[in-house]
Parts: sequence; structure tokens; C-alpha cells
Amino acid sequence: MPVDPMLQPLVAGFAVEAQEVIQKVTMDLLELEREGLENDALAKIYTRLGRHLHTLKGSASSLGLQDLGDIAHKLEDALAPLKAHTQKMPRPVVDVLLHGLDLFMLRAQAHADGRGDDLPNPAAALSQLVAAAPPPEHAAVLPGGAFAQVPPAAQPAAVSAPPEMPAAPEPVGESADAGWRVSAAQVTSLMREVERLREVRLRVEERSRELERVSALLAKQGLLAETAEARTLLSGTGRSLRTDGEETSDVVDALEDGLKAITTRPTRTILDPLQRMVRDLSRQLGKEARLSVVGAEVSLDRRLLEKLQGALVHILRNAVDHGLEMPAEREKAGKHHEGALTLRVEQQGNLLYLEASDDGRGIDLSQVRKAAEKRGLITAEEAARLNDNQVRDLIFSEGFSTRSDVTDTSGRGVGLDAVRATVESLQGRIEVSSTRGQGTRFVLTLPVDLGSSPVLMVRALEQFVGLPMLAVESTQLARPDMLRVGKRRTHMEHQGQLLPVIDLGARLGLRASSPPTEGQPLLIVQSGGKRVALGVDAVVGDRDLVIRPLPSEVREVAAWQGAATLSRGELLLILRPDWVVSDTEKVTVSAVSRRALVVDDSLTARALHRAMLEAGGFQVHLAASGARALERLQADTYDVVICDLDMEEMDGIELIARLRENKDTRTLPVILVSAHDTQVARDRGLASGADGFLSKRECAAGRLLAEVLDVMSRRGSRE
Amino acid sequence: MKPLVVDESLESETRDLLARRAARLREQGESTVEEAVHWIAEFPLGEERYALPLESLRAALPLRMVTPVPLSAPAVIGVLRFQGQVLSALSLASLLGGHGWRQDPAVLLVVDRGDGELCALDCEAIPRPTTLPLASVEAARARAEGPVVEVFTHDRQLIHLIDPKRLFGRSDVGARHAR
Repeated sequence: MPVDPMLQPLVAGFAVEAQEVIQKVTMDLLELEREGLENDALAKIYTRLGRHLHTLKGSASSLGLQDLGDIAHKLEDALAPLKAHTQKMPRPVVDVLLHGLDLFMLRAQAHADGRGDDLPNPAAALSQLVAAAPPPEHAAVLPGGAFAQVPPAAQPAAVSAPPEMPAAPEPVGESADAGWRVSAAQVTSLMREVERLREVRLRVEERSRELERVSALLAKQGLLAETAEARTLLSGTGRSLRTDGEETSDVVDALEDGLKAITTRPTRTILDPLQRMVRDLSRQLGKEARLSVVGAEVSLDRRLLEKLQGALVHILRNAVDHGLEMPAEREKAGKHHEGALTLRVEQQGNLLYLEASDDGRGIDLSQVRKAAEKRGLITAEEAARLNDNQVRDLIFSEGFSTRSDVTDTSGRGVGLDAVRATVESLQGRIEVSSTRGQGTRFVLTLPVDLGSSPVLMVRALEQFVGLPMLAVESTQLARPDMLRVGKRRTHMEHQGQLLPVIDLGARLGLRASSPPTEGQPLLIVQSGGKRVALGVDAVVGDRDLVIRPLPSEVREVAAWQGAATLSRGELLLILRPDWVVSDTEKVTVSAVSRRALVVDDSLTARALHRAMLEAGGFQVHLAASGARALERLQADTYDVVICDLDMEEMDGIELIARLRENKDTRTLPVILVSAHDTQVARDRGLASGADGFLSKRECAAGRLLAEVLDVMSRRGSRE
Repeated sequence: MKPLVVDESLESETRDLLARRAARLREQGESTVEEAVHWIAEFPLGEERYALPLESLRAALPLRMVTPVPLSAPAVIGVLRFQGQVLSALSLASLLGGHGWRQDPAVLLVVDRGDGELCALDCEAIPRPTTLPLASVEAARARAEGPVVEVFTHDRQLIHLIDPKRLFGRSDVGARHAR
């Protein structure tokens, strides 16, 4: 069935598109096979499925690929009666449809490769398709897609059994002559240049602001007529600079997106095909299994994904073959007849955590010992000396297998050693933990340079932070009826559970803890099986961000996993979900210490005062302006305020005046600090009602603390 | 024009004087050429003069776009981007144990920590490149064990010379709270 040579280039594109559509159809079929779906949901999937099959048929026919059009038509026929009476799809029908999709894809690929002429008449395959369900083991999963590539001149139906450790595939739709080969170093260097361009863009913005300041200064001189021409010119240049800056910003974003698309792809592209593999293998072995994937939206370096795919295939095959029990055995043990497999992907800074777990029988250590001895990997004496962890590690040894016979899936002793070799070749590590009767868990930890993660951006006071979306279950607005406010802690009722409520601002040491106010956003955050309700001041939105590792000076701070650059160039710190949900009792301890509020518009001055006061045992909160300080003082109580004399908008003198007007803060000790070390400044400060005055030059270690204690003691003795 | 008449004795005296001056200048020139110097970036910190070895200085930036890092060590002002990297901005006054300052720092000095990593230190003014006698620097370093050594300039000004490797080799820069 020759393809019109004019259409041949289009057929290659069609094959790529068909693979994407078939992947979606496969996922829908697996969903339809599930128990417990509502009729509405079933109907939606049937509709979508019908639409996809119709697309396949139409696209194939438009290219003159009649055999493919016929297969798609038969699949539509098989679907029609079920679609009319919405119901769960019987497993044999799923088998037929999946097999039909295999046939479709194998032939589509053959056409794309110019081997369409060698394909056998599809009539036999079509009649087989409608006659009976083929054995599921004929459907093979290979990396890079759900289907095996047809060997030249091979019968489409005669697909071989999957290899134990499949080779890395060519990425989907990326044949060798379809693009350029670029070294990783060149791409990394390009990324650095994009970062530099972003910094240039920020400088352009700064120059534009400087021009505006110059223009304003000229206007203040009062020489309006004389400087009119210069001011017009400056304003025009400023406007042009601003426009140029905005355009540069767009270019930087586009470049970054382009580089991201070139270097990364969503983990979903390798995880989705595994669903089909798990389904087919468990059918082949007479078992029932369901794979859940968490974190499939994380985008990772393509090179890493391609290498990892084979390892994941092997771990999952192992889990189905060795880990999961037969349905009857599971029910006898009080488990659901369907085994649960979970793949969890999480990126924290420059580390990727990939967790594969099952709820099967767990690793039988005595069997591992015996198998290792039998295969000559260890002697009986060595086996006796090994502890449980060391025995468990034997499963990664070369030539290890607990099978005495060789089957399609296992027994050749080639397996987890190859997985470990792959992981180690990526400078990563693999660990296994297992509980007899409860299951096994493999954790792969790998360094990653590239890749992005979905992040929810939130705000606590003036601090913006990111939280990996993976850890955020939902967002709610606080209502009094859902909160249980206790003496030490607030809880929130959520889905029949009482979750501790944590105030992000307090957890970060930015303010004292207090119960959430009505309407305050509460995020349900989970990590490692723990859940909390995290109170934030605002939810800004979600972003797909590249998380970079933090520098060594802050790497050990448990709260942060990394930082990401936002579009305007500023850094966003990313929280560690495990820290967020960890024990928060310690936060309440600090509530008993003395509290100081530092008010200064200089970031460095705030940091210095904080350091000095914390060294003296104070709990320190910071405010960058007088207005912010008043807000803080309305919400919290403090023992002393250290305030800069010279601040824009509201200076220290005005702040003191406002404090003295308020009965709650009338007697609050305030120390003014100033970079102006003059008698005039000192007199002015003390006359305003300050309890003390220090020049910043005098604020050396000890001196500030002594002044603070002195002022507090004087205030105390007066009251 | 009438020629300048020089008295014989005066002429001889002048010649001697000039010869002595020339000899002195020659001596000075030779010693200047031979004296090895240590280039530094000198800046004020409060009332005192501090300096960093010039070779450790990578850039001087305006202090802005720094993101504070809650729960970090007291000396950490925040983090910032520099040429595609994330760097820590640290308070030099705090690193030196709590030093007073004259004006709020407005400059960040990007320095090589001595271990190949970069970080930024705050500073009151853009530093001035100058030199110190290398022998004095080496002698001071041999005497001191801390991250700051006191060295006198040629004109007897006291400079507190910071050794980045010693300064960042200490373990007190990290997490503020173990929570």
C-alpha cells in the first residue's frame, strides 16, 4: 500500500501526532477499566475516546493510509455499543482496543519509515482484532512510547516479549536528521547568557528610573523655561528606555522558555506509558495492579529522563512480578485485591527524588540470603554476619535473582544491578526499604541541573515564598466554624481530620503566631504522610520555575530547598514541605522571650540590629518603614522598638509621635538610631520622646544591647 | 639676554647638592622598584579603614534586589543573583563580631571566598584600589591567626586587612535556628 511520495513527509508528522493521541486513548482506556467511576465521568471519557479515535481515522484517511483508517474504524465499532450504554469497560474489550492501537501504531510507524509496502494485508489482523482479545503479553512497552517499534518486514502482530532492561529510545518525533546535535556545555553556556541578559534588562530599568530622577531634579530647580528642552529630551529617552526594557524582558522570557523546551520535558512523557506496562504485565501474570503517579508535571532534563526510563520500567516490573501477591492471596491477607503501585517524583533544589513503592509482600530477607548464597554471591559465613540492611542491599548485586526458573519477566539475574548502575552513572544513589507483608519502597536520589517545577507563590507579610505544588492539596479561606482555637494551638477541621494550623509568618520568625483571621487563605500542605493547614497572607499564583540550589551560607537552613528567579529578576525562596509540616512546638517556646521591633529602611541595618539583639536573647521582628511598624504594633506586642531616625515617608520622629498618641504604645520604649552623629540630631530625637539615641557608629556589639536594657529598665521603674 | 653668572664656589656647592639629591633619588627609585606590594581594595567601616585583597574582588554592585532569607544566620542579609548564580549577601560588620557603621551600606562587594565560591559583602562605599608593603602583610599574617590583620600603609595609616579564606573558613555562617 504505497504512500503518495508527495505525502511522505506528512506521514512522518502524522506518526508522531498519532503516538500522542494513542497515548491519550490508552490512558482513557485504563481509566474506563477502573471500578467505581461515576456515570458522568464514564460518559465524558467515552466521548473523548470516540473523538480521539475519529481523529485518528480522519487523519489516516486524509493521507491515503486506508489500512489505518480501517483499523480506527473497527475500534470505533468496538466502542460504539459501550458508548451507547455507559458502563465500565470490560477487560477483554480493553484488551481488544489496546491491541488494535498497537496494530495502528506499528503500521503508522512502518508507513512513516517508508516500509508501508512491506506490511502484510491488514485484513487478517482486522479480523483477529474483532474476533478475540489477544493475549496481553503481546503488547509491549518500550521507552519513549507505549508501543514497540515494528522491525523491518516484521508481522505487526508478532511483537516480541519485552526485554528485561530496555535500551534508551530515540526521543519521540526526534529523528537524527530532524534537528541539531548541541553539546550540553553549549546549552548551559547559553543559559548563563540569558541570565546575564536578564540582569542587563534590570540595569536598563534602573537607568530609566535614574533619568526620571534627573528630570524631576531639573523641574525642582525652578528653571522651567531654560531646562524645558533638556527635560523633554530626557523624558523621551526615559520612555524609550522603558519600552526597550520591556521588549528585552519579553525576549529573555522567550529565550528561557525556548531553552527550557529544548532541554527538558515533563516527567509524564516517560511515566504515562508505564501505566499500560503495569496493566499488561499484571494481566499476564494473573495479578491486579494499579499505578498511581504523583509529580508527573515536573519537567526534567531530557537526558536524565531517557536514562531513567529503563530503570523505572525495571523497578515496576519487579514490583509486579515479585512484590505484588495474587488477588486471592492479597484478600486473604486483608488487602485490596488490586495491588497499589506508586511513583512519586519530587524536585528539591538541585536534587530529584524518585520514589517507587508497592503494597505487596515485601522483601523476604531469608530468601534473599539463600538466593545470594546459592548464586555464589556470598558465603554462608558472610550471610550470617550481614545485618538486615546489608542483606536487602544484596538485591542490587550483579547476577542476583530469587527466581529459580527463567520467565519472560525475571530469573536471568539481570535487573536491579543494572538499575543501580544507571543511577550511579547519573551520580545518584538508590535505597530500598521494605516491611514484610506491607510492601517495598525504592528511593532514587539524583542531582539535577536543569528542569522546572510547578510552584505556588504565596506571601507572608512582605516576604514572598514558593511552595512546591506537589505538596499543596488544596487552598481554603478560613471560616470560624472550621477552626478549633486552643490555648497553644489552633486546629482546622478538614475532611473529618483535625489539622494543626501554622502561621507561615510566625513559622518564619517574621511575627508572633496568632489564629487565622476570617477569610485568610489556608493551604492544606502534606509531606511524608503529615498534613497541616498553612496560614498565609495572600496566594499570588502558580508558576513553573527553575529551582536553583542556595549558596553554602544558607544551604543548611532547614526551611529552604532553593531559590528561583522570577520574571523581573528577583529571587523567590522555595520552602521545603517536610519542614513546613514538621513539629512546630518550638515556635511557641520563643513566645516567652523579650520581643524587639527593628524599624529601618536599610536592609543591612535591619540585619545588623537583628543580629545584635538576637545575641542578647531577644526575639526580633523587622519592619522596613514606619507604616509597616505601625501595622506590626497593631498586631503584636513588643518590649522595645529600635527605629531609624531618617526614613523616607515616615521618619522616626513621626513614628514616635504616632506611638505616643496611642494609649497602647504610649509608654513603649523607643530607641532612635541615626547615621547622623550630631548633637542636633541627638537633641531632636530625644525631644521627640525617644527613650534613647545612638548613632549607628556607636551600634557596635554590646553597646546597642546595653542601651536597650537600660531604656527598658528606666521605663519599667517609671511605671 | 644676559648670561647667568654663577659664582665658582657656589657652583661647586650646587654641584655637590645636586649630586647628593641624585644619589638619594637613585636609592629611592631602586628601593621602590624592588619593594614588592600587595594590592588591596580599601574601604571604610565605621571609623576604621578595612581592605580586601584586590585579587579576591570580583565586582562592586549597588545594594539592591537582595531577597532576605528568614531563619538564616545573623550575618546573612539575603540572597541575590549575580551572573546567573545565586549568592549570599553578608553583613561584614556582623561577620566581624558587631561593628558600628557611619552610613548604611549601599554597595555590595562580590568576593571569592577563597574556596572558589563567590559571596557578596556589604560596604559603606565603593572601595579604592591601593597597595600595602608585601613584607608588612606577610609579617602581620604570620603574627595573627584571625581573619583580620592590622597592617600599616607607607604613610603609616592603619588598615584592617581581611583574609577571605580565614573569614569564611569559620563555621558560624549558616542556619540561625535549628528548627
